[in-house]
Amino acid sequence: MSGYIAFVKKEFTENMKNYRFLILFAVFLIFGITSAFLAKYTPEILSALTKDMEMSSEPAALDAWKQFYKNMSGVGFSAFIILYGNSLSNEYSKGTLVLMVTKGLSRKAVILAKYTVAAVLMTVSYWTSYAATYGCTALLWNDRTLSHVALAASALWLSGFLYLSILMTGCVMFRQTFTSILFTGGMAALLSLAGMAEPIARFHPFILTSKNVDLISGTTVPADFIIPALISVMISVFGLLTAIRLFNKKQL
Amino acid sequence: MNVLTIQNLSKSFGKQKIIDHLNLSVPKGSIFGFIGKNGAGKTTTMKMVLGLLQPDNGEIHVCHEPVRFGQTKTNQYIGYLPDVPEFYNYMTPAQYLKLCGDIIGLSKSETSQRGQELLSLAGLNGVTKPIGGFSRGMKQRLGIAQALLTHPSLLICDEPTSALDPTGRKEILDILHKISRTTTVLFSTHILSDVERICDHAAFLHGGNIAVSGTLAEMKALHGHDRLLLEFSTDRDLQLFKKQKFIEPLLPDSEENNRKIILHSRSMETVQQSLFGVLAATGIRPVKIELMEPSLESLFLEVVK
Repeated sequence: MSGYIAFVKKEFTENMKNYRFLILFAVFLIFGITSAFLAKYTPEILSALTKDMEMSSEPAALDAWKQFYKNMSGVGFSAFIILYGNSLSNEYSKGTLVLMVTKGLSRKAVILAKYTVAAVLMTVSYWTSYAATYGCTALLWNDRTLSHVALAASALWLSGFLYLSILMTGCVMFRQTFTSILFTGGMAALLSLAGMAEPIARFHPFILTSKNVDLISGTTVPADFIIPALISVMISVFGLLTAIRLFNKKQL
Repeated sequence: MNVLTIQNLSKSFGKQKIIDHLNLSVPKGSIFGFIGKNGAGKTTTMKMVLGLLQPDNGEIHVCHEPVRFGQTKTNQYIGYLPDVPEFYNYMTPAQYLKLCGDIIGLSKSETSQRGQELLSLAGLNGVTKPIGGFSRGMKQRLGIAQALLTHPSLLICDEPTSALDPTGRKEILDILHKISRTTTVLFSTHILSDVERICDHAAFLHGGNIAVSGTLAEMKALHGHDRLLLEFSTDRDLQLFKKQKFIEPLLPDSEENNRKIILHSRSMETVQQSLFGVLAATGIRPVKIELMEPSLESLFLEVVK
C-alpha cells in the first residue's frame, strides 16, 4: 500500500511537471466554454457570411449540449488517450521502472497508481468542462426544460474509464506509444461496431456516448442507461485486471 | 554462508543460448567480481536474480529465499544499480531518495536521515539541481545511494564503472570498497584492473556458464602459470641459452619475441634455482630477468581462448 501511495504522489507530480494535466485541463475547458457560444453564434456567423442562407430554427440550450457531447466524445477523449498513451512506454524506454520495481514496488501498484491518477485528472478536467458548459448555457438561454443534464454527463464520464482501461492494457502490451494508442482506437472501433448489431445495441456501452442528448431532451429515460453503464464498468474492471496480469508477466 | 546461490540456470533468447546451466555462489561479506566479455550474459544473469527476466531453467536463491519472476519479495534483500541508471529527471537527488523511501515504507525521519548519509557517501550532499542535468558519474553515484537505502544484504552493480572517466571510476570503486564492510557486493565488469583493485572473489562467465571462480588468490594459483622473462643483448646468447639441457624441456611452453623469452612453469622456484646455476656456468648475461606474476588478464585470456 505504501508503494501505491508513493507512486500515486509521484504520478501527480509528474503530470504537473510535464504539463500533461495542464494541456488536458485546457483542452477540456476550451471545449466546455466554446460549446455554448458556438451553438449560440454559429448560425449568426454563418448567415452573416452567406446572405442567402436561411437558418431553419433558433439555436437552443440543447444545441449547446449537442456541441459539448460531440466535442468531448470525439476530440476530447482522443486528446486524453493521446496524452496518456506514453505513460508506460516512457518508463519502458528510459528504464526508470526497473529501479522502482527492484525496490519492492509491486507491479500491480504501478498500474493502479497510473490508472488512478489519469482517472482523477480526467475527472477533474471533465467536470470542469461540464461546469463551464452548464454555466455558459444557463447564461445564454436560461432554459429550465432540460432534464437529467448531470446524469447524461455522468454517462460519458463513465466511458472515460472504459477508454482508460483499454489504453492501460495497450500500454502494457506494446512498448511504443503509437501502438498503444492505435490499439485503444482499434478496440474502441470494434466496440462501436459490435454496438450496431441489433440484439446487443440496447445494452451496449456505446449508448453512454451516443444517447446523452436524447436523455437531456427527454426522448430516452435514465433506465435505458443502467445496463450499458454496468457493462461498461465491468469491461473497465476486466481491462484493468488484464493490464495488471499482463504487466506481471512483462519482462522489464 | 552464501547470500546468493544460482543453480543450473539457463536462458535462451530465440535460438541463442545465453546462459547454459550456470552455477554460482556469492559468499556473505565478499566483494564479488562477475567477469565476462561484452555479451557474455552478465546483465541477463543479474536481471534473472532480480526477477526481471524469466529463466528457462534453474533456481536462484537470495538469502535462502527463492526468486520468482515478476515478484519482488526477494528484492527487499537486494540493492540494484543498473549499468545506466535512469531516474525521473525533474526530481532532485533528495526527492528521488524520498520517493524510494516511501516505496520501501521507511518512516519520514528514517528516509531523511538515511538519505543524508547516503548522499554524503555519494558526494551529492547539497546538490539541489534536477537529476536531468547530472553527469554520468553523478548518476552512477546517485544510483549507488538509492541502491543502499534499504540496507541491502546484497548490492548488485551492473558494470558500474564501464562508462566512466578515470576520476568517476575511482570514486565508484572507493564507494564500493567503503560499503563492503556492511554489504556483500556483486559487480559485473570486463575491466579486470577494477576487480584486482577491490574484489576478493571473482568468477569468469564464458560460454554461458562459469569457467573459473573462487577467491582471487585461488584463481591465480589454480589457473595462472608463473612466468619468467629473460632478455638477452645478442641473438647468440639467446640461442646458447636455449641449447642448455635444463632449458630444453621448458621450450615447448615458452614464448619468444626478438631477444626475449618467457618461460612458463608451475614450480618457478626450482626453475629459478637451476637458471642461475646455468647462467653462472655458461657466462651468459641477460640484460633483464623479471618474474611475471599471474594476472587476471592472463587468466581471462586463457579462459576465453
